[in-house]
Amino acid sequence: MAFHHKILGIVTFLYLFLFLIHIIYFAVKKEKIIAFIWLVLYGTLGLHTVGLVFRWVESYQLGIGHAPLSNFYESLVFYPWCISIILVVMKQRLKYPAITLCCTLISLFLMGYASISPSVEKNIQPLVPALQSNWLHIHVLTCFLAYASFVVSFVCGLLYMFTWKSVVPPRETLDEINYSSVIVGFPMLSAGIFTGAVWAHYAWGSYWSWDPKETWSLITWIVYAVFLHARLVRGWKGKKIAILSIIGFASVIFTYFGVNFVLSGLHSYAT
Amino acid sequence: MSATKNKPTEVIPPEKGIFKSLQDFLASIKFAIILLVCIALGSILGTVIKQGAGPAEYLSLYSESTYRAITLLDLDDVYHSTWFIALLFLFAINLTLCTLRRFMPILRVDKKVSVPEESAMASMSMNFRTSTNVDDASLFAMLKGYQCTYSGEEGKVFQKGALSKYGVLLIHTSIMLILIGGFVGLVAGFKGFMVLQKGDTKSTIAIGGERPREKPLGFSLKCKEFQVSFYPNGAPKDYVSTVEVIEGGQTILEKQIRVNEPLSYKGIQIYQASYGSTPSFSFTIGNEHVTLKEKETYRKDNFVIMPIRFEQNIHNFGPGVMVAYLDKGEPRTAWFLKNVERFNEKSIQGIPVRFEDVQENLFTGLSVSKDPGIWIVWAGFAFILLGLYINFFLYHRRIYVRKIAGAYLVAGVAMKNKEAFKEEFYKLRRKFDGISS
Repeated sequence: MAFHHKILGIVTFLYLFLFLIHIIYFAVKKEKIIAFIWLVLYGTLGLHTVGLVFRWVESYQLGIGHAPLSNFYESLVFYPWCISIILVVMKQRLKYPAITLCCTLISLFLMGYASISPSVEKNIQPLVPALQSNWLHIHVLTCFLAYASFVVSFVCGLLYMFTWKSVVPPRETLDEINYSSVIVGFPMLSAGIFTGAVWAHYAWGSYWSWDPKETWSLITWIVYAVFLHARLVRGWKGKKIAILSIIGFASVIFTYFGVNFVLSGLHSYAT
Repeated sequence: MSATKNKPTEVIPPEKGIFKSLQDFLASIKFAIILLVCIALGSILGTVIKQGAGPAEYLSLYSESTYRAITLLDLDDVYHSTWFIALLFLFAINLTLCTLRRFMPILRVDKKVSVPEESAMASMSMNFRTSTNVDDASLFAMLKGYQCTYSGEEGKVFQKGALSKYGVLLIHTSIMLILIGGFVGLVAGFKGFMVLQKGDTKSTIAIGGERPREKPLGFSLKCKEFQVSFYPNGAPKDYVSTVEVIEGGQTILEKQIRVNEPLSYKGIQIYQASYGSTPSFSFTIGNEHVTLKEKETYRKDNFVIMPIRFEQNIHNFGPGVMVAYLDKGEPRTAWFLKNVERFNEKSIQGIPVRFEDVQENLFTGLSVSKDPGIWIVWAGFAFILLGLYINFFLYHRRIYVRKIAGAYLVAGVAMKNKEAFKEEFYKLRRKFDGISS
């Protein structure tokens, strides 16, 4: 077991710890705990970064150096890192622990799945020729920051469906956070698709080949474009917007997981 | 009864009205959303149903009637089907009309801004009075980042983020650019394939699709060298074709083509797409040494042989090749096994034929394409990102400063992002207070 695996193992437990602090907060409702939650979140993000950097460094020690963004395991570990980044970026708006609770739970699930599932190859693998490009970094980073923003949007959409006064934030707040996370996610997704297209042009000879992953990212882009137009032009709010954000996230999930498991195509590195 | 009563209200609108309402519909956001949903659903179909497979494959997956429906609706090639392209075309029309309609008004020159009346300013949600006497220089310093759009005796108007109203226009125009770029590529571009072995020179590419054909490139490509390297775990590490571009009998340039590092010449891009190998076999025929590829015939008088099939490993006896030959005019076949003494030699028409060795000859698969629309698409990408930034992260706000008897009245308005503006406005107020104290 490589050193970075140990660090990432601790990170997984920190996400579990974060989840437990949230539960304690809802039990005792002390404002001080919220500050502690953010402190732990910063710490987790820091250690998570260290873990990723170590995996990067260890790949160089193996003589197959590359950023840890190249296979399914690495994406599963990178996704929660992006979620934490987005949470930190949106901290001003995320005063309600219910949102960070749900996001942490999703991070915990991803980290847990990465380390427990026997079908996920955890070792550092060499880069196949198609991935040997600097576009890899910016493409994966933009895509996953978008996916992470849509996690926040989805959580708001989901919480909107519940009316549990002491836990769930007010509906107007959820609606606003939902919208502002899509405002971050949509340009990121666009950038992810465009960097992917430019890369595809240089690697595969065509910027758009209707590969399932490309197609599903376009579908996701369309769902969020509809979300933005429905809200900004038609003035949709509340439940309709919440439903759209849930549909959007379902599309994200399919773009990320579904395409790899159900459909095959040029993006098959990730399985 | 009620139907007849209602009749007068259902007057058929005049001809112009139909046109008008059709135009309204084509330019509507409703139509845009319907189209986007249809495009999304069509795209989903294309990822669920296998694209571009042969009839046999479809019939093994679906019933005959389903297959008939698939071919009828072009579901075996969704993204190039007439209906899908028609959807994209309608979308382009909708986007153009929608954009023109919504943004023509803002493109007209701004009507003169001036400082509103005192009562109007006092009724704005954000305003304060200050008795501080500030000179212009410190006013400009306090409103850093703001542009002074009006300056007069009675006061000044400042604004920031005025660009934000062009965001949506820029995004929509960029989407049009991408569609145009895609269309240019479709009409004026091509994509083909070329297979070269080391030493080969070719000047045409094979173009697939409905009418497969050979297309001359206008220059030749010579493969000087092709190498594949592997990682210790057997995964491919690098494919490199060293290629010469030859035009008019002269070598113009030489380049190593790798995955992610294509060669670009005269607007044509040449990519490392794949590789493979074909075997060639060496025989000793009589006392002559001969090397033959698969399906290559060796002929001498009435002695004819041709290797027709190669197997890497036959029943654990190692590599073997099936050879067709003529025995007194009769076609026959025989297996030669390289590593088995009894089977690597055979007398054909009295001449001893011995299978000596097999070599793998690597070939490189180059994808060759031309897309004159590419820069239009790239520009579209860049402008969309710029437009998204302008639209979502800049916001238009104005600050009015009016001189009133011995003091100033300051008021501010923001079109959106009002919370953030409120904070900014309070900071401005504190700055004014800071000067007065």
